[in-house]
Amino acid sequence: MQHPSRALSRRSLLASAAAMAVLAGSADGKSLSGTVPWSPFAGEPPRPVNPLGWYFFNPGEAATIEAIVDRFIPGDHLSPGGKACGCAVYIDRQLAGAFGQASRLYMKGPFMPGLPTQGFQGDLTPAGRYRLGLRALADYTNTTYKKDFRALTAEQQDEVLAGLDGGKITLKLKPGFSSKEFFELMLQNTMEGFFADPLYGGNKNMASWKMIGFPGARYDYRDHIDKHNQPYPNGPVSIYGQV
Amino acid sequence: MKTILKTLAAALAVVAVPAAAQTVNAGKYQVIIGDCEGCHGKDLAGGVELQTPFGKLVSSNITPDKDTGIGNYSAEDFKQAMTKGVAPGGKRLYPAMPYPYYAHLDDRSLTDMWNYLKTVKPVKKSINVNQLRFPYNLRIGMLGWNAMFFHPKPIVQDPAKSAAWNRGAYLVNGPAHCGACHAPKNMFGADKSTALTGTSLQGWFASDLTGDRHAGLGAWSVADIVEYLGTGRSNRSMASGPMAEVVEYSTSQMSNADLTAIAVYLKDLPPSRGNGGAATGVDVQMKAGAVAYDISCAACHGRDGKGSAIFPPLAGNANITQVRADTIVRMVLAGGKAVATPTAPTGPGMPSLGWRLNNDQVANILTYVRNNWGNQAPAVSPETVGRIRGSLRSGS
Repeated sequence: MQHPSRALSRRSLLASAAAMAVLAGSADGKSLSGTVPWSPFAGEPPRPVNPLGWYFFNPGEAATIEAIVDRFIPGDHLSPGGKACGCAVYIDRQLAGAFGQASRLYMKGPFMPGLPTQGFQGDLTPAGRYRLGLRALADYTNTTYKKDFRALTAEQQDEVLAGLDGGKITLKLKPGFSSKEFFELMLQNTMEGFFADPLYGGNKNMASWKMIGFPGARYDYRDHIDKHNQPYPNGPVSIYGQV
Repeated sequence: MKTILKTLAAALAVVAVPAAAQTVNAGKYQVIIGDCEGCHGKDLAGGVELQTPFGKLVSSNITPDKDTGIGNYSAEDFKQAMTKGVAPGGKRLYPAMPYPYYAHLDDRSLTDMWNYLKTVKPVKKSINVNQLRFPYNLRIGMLGWNAMFFHPKPIVQDPAKSAAWNRGAYLVNGPAHCGACHAPKNMFGADKSTALTGTSLQGWFASDLTGDRHAGLGAWSVADIVEYLGTGRSNRSMASGPMAEVVEYSTSQMSNADLTAIAVYLKDLPPSRGNGGAATGVDVQMKAGAVAYDISCAACHGRDGKGSAIFPPLAGNANITQVRADTIVRMVLAGGKAVATPTAPTGPGMPSLGWRLNNDQVANILTYVRNNWGNQAPAVSPETVGRIRGSLRSGS
């Protein structure tokens, strides 16, 4: 004999199946057709910077920055130097644009000291930090060496930069903006200029990509997927298709 | 026995369609073949702008609205407009309305079409049709045009050819009005001949449809053409631009028999004079083109130019090797969008590369593509690319 509860459960199962069928029948099944919208000349490609002239730096500042990026990335058998690669141009265009104005950031007070992981917390925009930092650096080298930074020997320039980095030199900056922070800002931006796409002004001729073997904005490696343990043979390509 | 008869009668009753509905359905199919929606819009209420070398024409409202449409036409008025290019009151139509082709429609088809158009939802929409430049805006000029160029000769049936060929000849040269775009025009905008050897219009090159291997459809099979017209894509090419609209509103809704008829007829067209042959003395362009192709094109179209199911091939693609490069230059500069049909619903798009490639690079790439993988066509010059870039920017 069948257990009553089991019979019941069978009945309720059938009932619920019927209910499901009704529900499914009334549910709105829709098939969407048509295609995604498209318009000619669509896309917002980045605009390459004009490589000529200075947009933010005055001539003295530009010469100092060019000297600094050349000490960060000296020309050698691996790559041309930072100046030849356009790192100073990159920094100049960044400071003249949105980055320089910190337009992406909340820049109203109160300004409180932050943790090291929180980045710069002061009221100076990057443009303001460069302006103040370069003036203070000029004051320092003219007081100490009676010369502008760019006129120092490579060894003296390294000495000054190492001093900023290691805390041995304190420029007359502002509370909340240390000399080490100024050093790190310049180093960071120089690296960006060196490795970013050439359209931003640095990485001229994709020198850094050639140095490290980065193929750039290529997007089809199907011919090479099976070639294990073989170096990729093709040189880099920039966003604008330069080879 | 009685039951069987009863069942049969019942079945017939279900199958039989009243004569009125039959003519309406047949008329709807005639509207599809004639691609009326292509110019008059999905609702047939007009308003679609047509750029002609003589200025702008805007398509008229052909819904049965009494004030703004053709609600006051009689069946005879409709026939006169379709086959003679004359609207009620003697108003001359412009041959952008392809009456030189519709003139070949038989009475039955015209009646069906008219019966269908009467059932369309009337839309009240006033259209300022004639926006042509002086003196083309004077409709009286069409009298002279008709006298010079409008001599519709009946499409002769050729008993030596198959029924499909004859049906194809009728469709291509009649209601489907392929020549309206694909036949070269004289300075008056009339077809120079009925040969479908291709021509530039509206910033596109309507391809050569003759049997030439490179300039035309010589390398395409009947199946390739049927698939292309029916779905918007085949293993040869994809329809975009004005042809995408033709596929969407017309050919994708045609019967397979009719598409086959068109293909059989087109495949029998004698080859045109070709595209001028392979580019010569362009080693430098070809080399630079190969490098640039690899970077900007190969990911989708393949290093072998064979494309894939959703990326059109460039090898053996007749659109690539037309005598003039309008379509492909435009495609590279502005991008493109293939038609989406129920059978090929993807409608893949090609991005604009005009921001990234200068005129020299585009010319190099296209010269390379036109002369690689078995393709043969004259080189594309940077000047041509520059001219097309300029005209696309100015929106004409």
